[in-house]
Amino acid sequence: MPDLRVLLEDIPKKRVLLLGNEAIARGILEAGIGVMTTYPGTPASEIGDTVSEIAKDAGIYMEYSTNEIVATEVAGGAANSGVRALTAMKHVGLNVASDFVMTLAYTGVRAGLVIVTADDPECYSSQNEQDNRFYALLSNLPCLEPSNAQEAKDMTISAIEISEKLELPVLLRTTTRVSHTRGPLVYGKVMKPKLKGEFIKDVKRLVMVPANSRPKHSILLGILDKAKEISESSPHNKIAREAKDRQFGIISSSSAYNYTVEAADLLGLDAGILKLGMTYPLPEKMIGEFMKKHEKIVIVEELEPYLEMQVKAIAKDYAPDAEIYGKMGKQYFAREGELSTRLVATGLAEITGRKLPIDFGKIDENFAEVARSLPRRPPILCAGCPHRASMYVMRKVAGEKAVYSTDIGCYALGCAPPLGAGDILTCMGSSIGTAEGISKAISENTIAIIGDSTFFHAGIPGLVNAVYNDHKIVVAVLDNLTTAMTGHQPHPGTGMTGMHVSSNRILIENVAKGCGVKYVKVVDPFKVKESEAVLKEALARSDPSVIVFRAPCTLMVVRERRRKGAEIAVFRITDKCTNCMACVKLLGCPALVVEDGKVGINQVLCAACGLCAFVCPYNAIKCDTTD
Amino acid sequence: MKEFNIVLAGVGGQGILLAAEILGTAAVKEGLNVRVSEIHGMAQRGGAVVSNVRIGEKVLAPTVLEGQADVLLGFEPLETLRNLRFASEKTLVIMNTEAIPPTELSAKMMKYPSLEEIEKKIRHFTKRIIAVDAAKLAKEAGNILTENVVLIGVLAASERMPLKSESVLAALRELVPSKHLGVNVKAFNLGCECGKKGKIMF
Repeated sequence: MPDLRVLLEDIPKKRVLLLGNEAIARGILEAGIGVMTTYPGTPASEIGDTVSEIAKDAGIYMEYSTNEIVATEVAGGAANSGVRALTAMKHVGLNVASDFVMTLAYTGVRAGLVIVTADDPECYSSQNEQDNRFYALLSNLPCLEPSNAQEAKDMTISAIEISEKLELPVLLRTTTRVSHTRGPLVYGKVMKPKLKGEFIKDVKRLVMVPANSRPKHSILLGILDKAKEISESSPHNKIAREAKDRQFGIISSSSAYNYTVEAADLLGLDAGILKLGMTYPLPEKMIGEFMKKHEKIVIVEELEPYLEMQVKAIAKDYAPDAEIYGKMGKQYFAREGELSTRLVATGLAEITGRKLPIDFGKIDENFAEVARSLPRRPPILCAGCPHRASMYVMRKVAGEKAVYSTDIGCYALGCAPPLGAGDILTCMGSSIGTAEGISKAISENTIAIIGDSTFFHAGIPGLVNAVYNDHKIVVAVLDNLTTAMTGHQPHPGTGMTGMHVSSNRILIENVAKGCGVKYVKVVDPFKVKESEAVLKEALARSDPSVIVFRAPCTLMVVRERRRKGAEIAVFRITDKCTNCMACVKLLGCPALVVEDGKVGINQVLCAACGLCAFVCPYNAIKCDTTD
Repeated sequence: MKEFNIVLAGVGGQGILLAAEILGTAAVKEGLNVRVSEIHGMAQRGGAVVSNVRIGEKVLAPTVLEGQADVLLGFEPLETLRNLRFASEKTLVIMNTEAIPPTELSAKMMKYPSLEEIEKKIRHFTKRIIAVDAAKLAKEAGNILTENVVLIGVLAASERMPLKSESVLAALRELVPSKHLGVNVKAFNLGCECGKKGKIMF
């Protein structure tokens, strides 16, 4: 996006190229949504980031909330006061929000509320690849699944309309390939958001004590019947292709639909295709009639057999003899990882007895030759990253035997050698509680590593528990003053808001003290000796301690220097270097390169943090400006 | 043109996503249908990055099928190799010769393969290779960070490119901050010149 203000233009029919997530942001403007909340998480982040840039001009309220459940509560509160709202999160974020969401389905909403969940098949940037369509089934909330940018925008508007018709929140489920694919999109009209509503008191409706919850469950099931009718006539559920030959009928949704159409074309397969955009509740009659029209039904969907399970149940009433092919029983399509045109074409070829026109086996064989000798290039901590310094200190002081319970964020990359500071990682905030359990079970030191944004998100209850139950752990908060991994969003410790207003800054050290931690220190990780001394002190204690390693994310520092046109100091290797490789082996910095057996510094990548100069035993690395 | 598939491959931080967005925007400017796939988040941190640009009326899927790339735009030699499965004899490989050695190589004291070795491997898939010293041209343009735009310039000048140079340039103007525009236009033009010579450098 050149200038996100292009998104604000009220020029219906204007055609632009947008990322799926930017398209949802445009949908927010066209749906008259007044409140947008989020906690950043790939692949959902750009929805909030885009709205954050345009919120003031669009006259809507946007916030980065502390975590996903708070984000959903804020949006839900607004929607229950008559203001249209949307909250966006990554798939695992919905786990955090789920406690609220499950009962929000009982209270319902007064104005439209959309909950965007962005799933991540293939775990491009996630700890799991759960299929969040099951949340629709679990909560009985309607679910829409776009397959491209245009649909992402259109379905945001539909979701608001359905939400208001049913007085229920609606899930909008994308995947990485929908959220992070750019495609052309045609604008509709912008709707001026309503920012003030009314909170109508109604205890029976809104206060979910058992006596009120019981009847609300029946009411919810009643609403579900209405939702089914909407699904039957929804323009998002449609026969995308009629076949002359009635042999094969394919049912698909989301990204899988795109692969299906291209795979059918590749195979020259004349099959009927039912594209489902509203996948909860399913249009049972529509699916039943489609099944009756075809002898063999193929279900192509990414991740779990969510559609397949339900379609098989529908078949019992409509087409008990239909042959159904998918991923239950014999697996024609993978249940793990993301699909592709190749995978879908391969499955369809097997089902339909067709030959693939491309010899993928041959391509794989040729490529295997090349791949064998390729060094890997996994994501790594950037040159100049302060986490590298923090983890270097930890490994130096606490050693290999200590257990490092790490968390979600860039610093998770420190689990790789040579830093090797990450022994267990599950979900946001889990580092602290997990470290407590480990510390009870082993006699070695236990260090919890958690980022600043993650600390605010879900770390605090764990820390309170450490103090309350007196767990002997060191909590290392790696505070780089931003939510770095997801694209540098602000958080409570930055004192900036999503509306770009400076606000109350909450200091992690004050939170720790407030939680009752007695030993709380703030260090600059690049002051290595000082940091080492503090960590030694903390490890010697018998009560929980908190060390805040504070230094700004190097990407922000470099960007700022470039913006100001400031000279970036340059480090170089002098002739004192003995090629002992200590810098390379201890730090794994991408700016340190070995060519012809000699260490060099890549001048483009080097961010002049000076850590290599510190660790060099021969004092052979010098900064040009200080030389 | 039925469809035109471009695979862009390199290392996080090389401006691959911006390059892909420029190409996608140029396609929309010409009224064409397009899909641009991107990978964000953790995958981006100094790791291997791939983006696909698919242009064509019937294009729906965001990713290119193995063997079906019309152009493999390699921002880095090893990353070009890593994506050779998208290439076949019809593919034009445009490759930046500037190497970014993976840290694994440094840690294991292994040598970065020579350009000759790399060329040999590419030739196994296609003989149409343009090797470009994009770093040199970017520096000549005035900023080493414009390697991505140099490479787009090379592609724009290629006879197989379905998009007009003017559209690409217009997209560039729209997407690059105005204070850096001059340097970027220069980088684009230097890339174009290099592409026009069609100099197959191996």
